[in-house]
Amino acid sequence: MKSIVVFKWSRNPQDARVGSDGSVDWRGVKLAASDDDPAAIAIARDLAAGGEIVGLTIGDGDVAWAAARGAARTVVVADAQADVNSAVTGAILAAGVRNIDGADVVLLGDSAWDYGVVIALAGQLGWPALAGVVAASLEKGRLRVTRKIGSGTQVLEMTGPAVLAVAASRAEQQPPGMKEVLAARKKPVARLSLSDLDVAGVAAVTSRGSKFPDTAPARMIDGADPAAAAAQLVAALRSDGVL
Amino acid sequence: MNADSWIIITDAGRVGGLLDAARKLGAGVTAAVVGPRDLAEAVATAGFDRILWFAVKEGIPAEAYAAQVADAAQAAAPRVVLASDASTVRIILGAIAAKLGAAVASSVRALAVEGDQVLVSRAIAEGKVVEVLEVAGPLAGIFDGDDVDWANTPPAAVEEITVADPGDGFRIVESQAAGAELAGLLVAPRVVGTGLGIRAKDDLKLIEELAAAVSAEIACSLPVCEDMRWFDAHRVVGSSHNQIAPDLYIAVGISGQPQHMSGVRDAKVVVAINNDPEARIFKNCDYGLLGDLYKIVPALTAAFKTA
Repeated sequence: MKSIVVFKWSRNPQDARVGSDGSVDWRGVKLAASDDDPAAIAIARDLAAGGEIVGLTIGDGDVAWAAARGAARTVVVADAQADVNSAVTGAILAAGVRNIDGADVVLLGDSAWDYGVVIALAGQLGWPALAGVVAASLEKGRLRVTRKIGSGTQVLEMTGPAVLAVAASRAEQQPPGMKEVLAARKKPVARLSLSDLDVAGVAAVTSRGSKFPDTAPARMIDGADPAAAAAQLVAALRSDGVL
Repeated sequence: MNADSWIIITDAGRVGGLLDAARKLGAGVTAAVVGPRDLAEAVATAGFDRILWFAVKEGIPAEAYAAQVADAAQAAAPRVVLASDASTVRIILGAIAAKLGAAVASSVRALAVEGDQVLVSRAIAEGKVVEVLEVAGPLAGIFDGDDVDWANTPPAAVEEITVADPGDGFRIVESQAAGAELAGLLVAPRVVGTGLGIRAKDDLKLIEELAAAVSAEIACSLPVCEDMRWFDAHRVVGSSHNQIAPDLYIAVGISGQPQHMSGVRDAKVVVAINNDPEARIFKNCDYGLLGDLYKIVPALTAAFKTA
């Protein structure tokens, strides 16, 4: 089983610096592995069955992240960045997957940082795809995948090649130790550029910048006098028709 | 410019909000329902101009039909295709986006048209700000703006689109709905959420008394379950666990991280109790009570009892 784990394809939205005018400054912020990326590579390890895990990533940040977690080698599209248009990022990653070739399964974190990239990648590859995946195994050559749907779960069977977008339900349980991190730096990294890839064209997007949303501010009640605050809230909820 | 749109639907969640957003394009809005016929019939009263129905065979996931829905979308060539962020429907949206060569945007809050451009407002930086994008061609948007109730209109005709049997290479083997212990929380009209502002397990008694006084179910944020282990995972509200839509959500000692707040985005009224004036939740609630929860919660319990 050859798995490609796509990692580190977005910047962490917590790293955005928001100005007083609502503008966002990303200068100096590197791409980061999302909270769901560890769950994706953990499933790749579950599926490996002696096969190969290849990490695929773009741009800057920690290129050795997947190698420290079980990837035998990593491919990085070094001159690509996370695009304002999620379809562009997805198309670049899909082109990277096709360049690596021979994958039985592509896994990536089903990250709320940008669901658009997840679906664009799956859509560009055109393979059977599932999001919200929490577990997977190989049974007689087919993928047996558990995913969350609403508040329940489903188990499905898929014939590969397939795309699994994996959702973490907890933080990474066993981050790599120093030994794995140092060993990771010795594993092969193939650096590609966009010109090496056949990236599908998509409709162009331009940003007009950002501002604070127009939502009405909360009605703040001072809790210094708890009884008065409680009475004020109850009266307000009653007049809202909630009580 | 023809700004016709399609909304892809695999469940009835957030349909009102999706339709409301698409109407701002000032053109035709078609529902592409991928699922059972009764879903198409339910959505037919929401006010769409057309209802297209792609029948899904029993035991086959809707995602298995993504390529066929994408082919139909390519033939119709809508300028905008929208879906909610539910895990099933957005996969179908991605297939359509690839077929149309569309731009893709997530966290879409609003749409507008300006000349030949579609303008999409989307939330970035964990929802702190809204960015406006100009899209020169087709757009596929994952919508997470406000949901609105849909006005019941006379039902539009459901047009069945013939689909080929996708075979059984991609099939559902087992389905487990939410357990009984969770069922109450999912439909409760009132919920009290517990966060790390509660300092000790014994203090949960305060939460139980408040919940009893207002006839509410109890939920919690993820760290209260994972780190403190005061509740099991069934009680967790957030993007990784349960999404609920109560009439009233009282968040006690919850900082308001986006992963948690996304679980209650469809709550009608959110009340936050927190002693930190900078707490994120105060930007994301209807009423904020600033102060010590250990004093405010008992006072609120007493006030609800006599209300």
